Amino acid sequence: MKRRTFFKRAILTVGTATIGNHSIEASKTIQPVDNRKVSNIAFPEKRPLITYSDRPPLLESPREVFTSSITPNDLFFVRWHMPIIPNYINPNNFHININGLVNKEIKVSLKELKEEFEQVELTAVLQCGGNNRTAFKPIAGGIQWGVGAMGCAKWKGARLSDVLKKAGLKKDAKYIGFNGEDKAVYNKTSNFVRELELEHLNNNIILAYEMNGEDLPYLNGYPLRLIIPGTYSDSWIKMISNITVLKDKQKLHFMEKAYRIPDNDCECETPDNLVQKTKPIEEMNVNSLIGYPTTGTKVKNNSNLIVRGIAFDAGHGIKRVQISLNGGELWEDATLDDGSQGKYAYRSFSYKLKPKSSGELTILCKASNEKGEEQPFAKNIKWNHGGYKYNGIDKVTIEVIA
Amino acid sequence: MIKKTVLILILLNTTLFSQVEGGITIPYINFPMKDGKGIYSTRGKCNMCHSWGYTINQGNQSKQFWRKKVIKMIAVFKAPIKSEDIDEVVNYLFENYGNGIDK
Repeated sequence: MKRRTFFKRAILTVGTATIGNHSIEASKTIQPVDNRKVSNIAFPEKRPLITYSDRPPLLESPREVFTSSITPNDLFFVRWHMPIIPNYINPNNFHININGLVNKEIKVSLKELKEEFEQVELTAVLQCGGNNRTAFKPIAGGIQWGVGAMGCAKWKGARLSDVLKKAGLKKDAKYIGFNGEDKAVYNKTSNFVRELELEHLNNNIILAYEMNGEDLPYLNGYPLRLIIPGTYSDSWIKMISNITVLKDKQKLHFMEKAYRIPDNDCECETPDNLVQKTKPIEEMNVNSLIGYPTTGTKVKNNSNLIVRGIAFDAGHGIKRVQISLNGGELWEDATLDDGSQGKYAYRSFSYKLKPKSSGELTILCKASNEKGEEQPFAKNIKWNHGGYKYNGIDKVTIEVIA
Repeated sequence: MIKKTVLILILLNTTLFSQVEGGITIPYINFPMKDGKGIYSTRGKCNMCHSWGYTINQGNQSKQFWRKKVIKMIAVFKAPIKSEDIDEVVNYLFENYGNGIDK
């Protein structure tokens, strides 16, 4: 009952006012939806996850997953754009084509990729740009994700730059286009193609064939996916099978319309006054999440509770994670792990807590990074039409029983 | 016996095995549609290309939002929806998955 009261309160703060049929609803941001249940049907190589769609598969990890610095493959979220995904890939035939403005168009087999290119391993966070979209009011277009459209894995693969070097880039090469094996129902529908500007190419961008020491799960892009550490995952193409190098930018819906935010200082706009000039979402904001306890968890008064969660940013480095038990007036440092997974990975944190009175207890967590950026309160995050880049201070409310 | 082992080792060295033998099957998940005027037309036009979950998990939206989405499906993704059928689909979506706001 108390839990219900809590959500009711959260809903009441939205404050919608309607005159006639036209909304003058102020754009606001609240805590994202946090109480969805996993489905009773598991997808291939996955445990049951929060399920938004089967065609294309759209699966979210529940909050409990975010207590550890590595997300297990079978709990890792899934997001595809095109509904037809090959249900069988023969690894012995699979290859990736490199074409366009290259000295020599080449096909690189999976075997060659594994054996003829230096193997690189790095741990990086993969997060959908629309993660936490349910925080935005009025509702922003797109899948209404809660907190779990993200994960962190150890990726192994070959450097994209090494593969491109083998083909040899021509002098006027400027854009690298990527696409995978997922297809639309109609052949008139364009593929999901993303582009990277050559000047953004770096040695951390890899074509990964392993995820946490195993083959990638099919639904995470088996047998090969692009990894671009520090950025949102819109360009981390799954089942990647083609790379085309070009001189000019292509006209692509998923580059020019989707995954863009207002190109102004606050990266914000209002529903009635959308900003015309936009930019790609790219670099991830500093963020953190409590994995345990979750809202509704019951604990005994005076019991020893360990709060656990994860924090990350775009690779500047997490400086500290703080916990508040009184709505943000007083903050105390949580203990961070040693950071040995590298700057693009989750830092796990823990915080020891002994509730001293019964009733509801709200726990907040906030991360800040080496660049000096700090997570704002949910209500201080400004709205954008796509519901991108939310990074509000996290909040769970538990029940302490006498 | 030794020969056999050697052969297997050679095969292991040269052949990659897929994670899931024989590939995968993605389960069908039923996302029920609310009953209402235009349900059959909408079902055919939307669910042909993607799940009903993909539609309704955009959240309850304004009439303008749903109109823009349907037009995007036609203009960007080439959905074979005739212009005279747009209103019926938009009305069904707004009546059943709307937020009561026109714009």
